[in-house]
Amino acid sequence: MLISEDLTCQELVELVTEYLEGGLSSTDRDRFEQHIVLCDGCAVYLEQMRTTISLTGSLTEEAIPAETQAGLLGLFRDWKQG
Amino acid sequence: MRGYKCLRPGRVGPFSGHTWPVGGWVEGRDPALCVRGVHACRIEDLPYWLTEELWEVELDGELRGEGRKLVAERGRLLSRIEDWTHETAISYGEGCAARARERVEAATGDTAARLSELAADVAGVAARGEPALAGYIAARTAEVQAGVDGYAEERAAQAHWLASELGLVRA
Repeated sequence: MLISEDLTCQELVELVTEYLEGGLSSTDRDRFEQHIVLCDGCAVYLEQMRTTISLTGSLTEEAIPAETQAGLLGLFRDWKQG
Repeated sequence: MRGYKCLRPGRVGPFSGHTWPVGGWVEGRDPALCVRGVHACRIEDLPYWLTEELWEVELDGELRGEGRKLVAERGRLLSRIEDWTHETAISYGEGCAARARERVEAATGDTAARLSELAADVAGVAARGEPALAGYIAARTAEVQAGVDGYAEERAAQAHWLASELGLVRA
């Protein structure tokens, strides 16, 4: 890997979704993973993303209490209007 | 074909989070692994991927070299390279630091100053037992001094150190 090919932490953050969805080219996947080997902070970030996806993936609409659902919908409405 | 695999403590894949069994075949198409194929290393690939555990693996099925790794249809852990320990990792990093210092001594002016900073970084991370990072900075140090050829030369020296100190056999 030459200097110009190095991935920065910011670039890695931007690519993490594509990485997890298997959307990166082989070269970019290599660059991504080599950065993970070298950077503890990004390794933790990747792990947090995996955990988040795993937890939210198991959450169903029915599992959310009606009060919480109403609160969330209210927040989304305000956000869209704001 | 035989290859090598760098894993986190407990035989955990550093990217997949998958815990590898010993001896059991792992299919690369397993969606739980979130990868297409089982990844492994040739000796020359190892400096890029070093982690806490190093294992010898057997690879089977369709096999291809892809960047700095091998990708196979399936693979299984054969045995751990027991000589790859925290202490060995520090020794490896010290070797990287020594070569970086040699480059400082051979340089002059601004280049020497820049190399000196990088060599100090190599020594620091080597002492902390971070071999992949030590190797990476050492390779970049070489690149500053000697360009692409210097980078490749340093990476080759790292692979040679691993092969000779750990008794690794080229597949």
